[in-house]
Amino acid sequence: MSRQPTDPFAIQRPRRVRVQAPDDATFPIPSGSPEHSADAFYVRQLIRSQLRLAVSVASGIIVLLVGITVLLSFWPAITEMALFSIPLPWWILGVGVYPLIIMAGVLYNLSAVRNERRYRSIAR
Amino acid sequence: MTQPFSVIALLVVCLATVLVAVHGLRLSRTTSDFYVASRTVRPWWNASAIGGEYLSAASFLGVAGLIVVSGQSGLWFPIGYTAGYLMLLLFVAAPLRRSQAYTLPDFAQIRFASVPLRKITTYLVVLICLLYIVPQMHGASLTLTVATGLPDWAGPLLVATVVCLTVVSGGMRSVTFVQAFQYWLKLAALVVPTIFLLTRLIPGNDPALRVQQLGERLGGGGSMGLYETISIIIALLFGTLGLPHVLVRFYTNPTGQAARSTTVIVLGLLSFFYIWPVALGILGRLFTPDLGQTGNADATVLLLPGTILEGLAADLLTSVVVGGAFAAFLSTTSGLVVSLAGAVSQEFFAGTVRGFKISTVLATTAPLLVAGLTSSLALAGAIGNVFAFTASTICPLLLLGIWWRQLTSIGAIAGMLTGAISCALSLLVSGLLTGSDSFWVALIRQPAAWSVPLAFLVTILVSLATAKRVPRNVERILARLHVPERSDLHD
Repeated sequence: MSRQPTDPFAIQRPRRVRVQAPDDATFPIPSGSPEHSADAFYVRQLIRSQLRLAVSVASGIIVLLVGITVLLSFWPAITEMALFSIPLPWWILGVGVYPLIIMAGVLYNLSAVRNERRYRSIAR
Repeated sequence: MTQPFSVIALLVVCLATVLVAVHGLRLSRTTSDFYVASRTVRPWWNASAIGGEYLSAASFLGVAGLIVVSGQSGLWFPIGYTAGYLMLLLFVAAPLRRSQAYTLPDFAQIRFASVPLRKITTYLVVLICLLYIVPQMHGASLTLTVATGLPDWAGPLLVATVVCLTVVSGGMRSVTFVQAFQYWLKLAALVVPTIFLLTRLIPGNDPALRVQQLGERLGGGGSMGLYETISIIIALLFGTLGLPHVLVRFYTNPTGQAARSTTVIVLGLLSFFYIWPVALGILGRLFTPDLGQTGNADATVLLLPGTILEGLAADLLTSVVVGGAFAAFLSTTSGLVVSLAGAVSQEFFAGTVRGFKISTVLATTAPLLVAGLTSSLALAGAIGNVFAFTASTICPLLLLGIWWRQLTSIGAIAGMLTGAISCALSLLVSGLLTGSDSFWVALIRQPAAWSVPLAFLVTILVSLATAKRVPRNVERILARLHVPERSDLHD
């Protein structure tokens, strides 16, 4: 018979798990029982709605940025307009674009969570 | 001219970096700690760390320098650096975190279980990290030479030594602390001098004259054409989401949703940061416009306090900026070195802690040698080229790998090679074509607008042609990338 450990709490204490970098081709690929076709359908729906959301926000921002470039390039007179003696394009590019980028990020985040909630409520 | 204050600021930043790193050492033991801080970092910490890591020499010195040289066009760089994170948020942040991969090669491995694809991704990551570290070394060289008059190899050597020490001693865990601390340090190092310079200027003599000058110096649009501007926007937007040192940060979030929240905070932190280099660039256009002609425009931020003020105030503010600039070089370089060493040690040393340490030493000495052999480009431009390269190579693999079922490993390899060769060749050729301003030269100088779509096109066509090679477990893998973790739904 082996002796009891001297530290009575040693068994209860969680073991430290050493995480090693995986060797080639041994990643835990998801497995287990085959998924129900209904669940696979909902996953496809989720991916499609997330992609639609991401693409629409991204194209909004890209159209905005390219639109500003085209505007500045074909309407140079805009440089004549100034606010506190700083030309208008400097205000648009130096300050104005950033709140729009942050807003797009916040709105996307909310919608993405909503998509995932909807998936959970249907799939479970 | 040796300025004692600048030397002191420099030493303080370097020492503080090493101390914070050693403090993290006690918490860092396993391989997982070394790579990704055991994924226990909170969103605010993580966002600060991402900001700290991302705001490099190009942001701290390069943006203001570019505004001095090319005026209004320079404003597109900080916009692209920020909007790139929006793209990362939209397409990559949560799925990549849920993939449970440590690095980009790991992602390729999980998605395709293909050894050739993994190897090519590894080599591209190594190349991108090297290309990105070298400008940091050039920035360090410039800063140390301008601030203290030391020879131009001293700055890179100092950066390489400190980074090597911090990364070898603590890995990612301590790097997270170091990075978060350095975001706020960099921000303060720009905010304090900018506000001080502005408060000294506004009540200064003859405001009417200054205001008139301001209008004149900022007028006339930018120096970049329409095509070049659009190409840079594309490079920066799609290049950010392939940067290895940025992506590795996302594995430190506990869940996919935490990764998204972190990215939104990062958008705020970056937007707030870039106000200050832009303001300093405008001041530079007013007070040090000659720097644009001498090719030393990247020193604008460093030289402004001494130009506008005199005596003790100038010395103190210069030292603050020098300290901040070094924080920028150290944080970006250490993030890149962690990614580079991670990739090298996984590939050649079977991912052990000892292998990681050896790789770290290699990852700091190699760019040091390259930086010594090459001459410095404009910082923001050099980094812009790296973004174009990343957007043409890593971006198609990531975007299509996360969102497109029909992607095959052969398609991904073909796309990455096409993007890498076309982008690299045109950037190399553009180095030989100087001076000319024709449309064709612009096409070669800023390849992203055509090389990124080309890489996507080749990836898609080859994937469709090799449709039989679509991995059989693709549905399961995509489900793992996109289905929310259970714990996500409670917050």
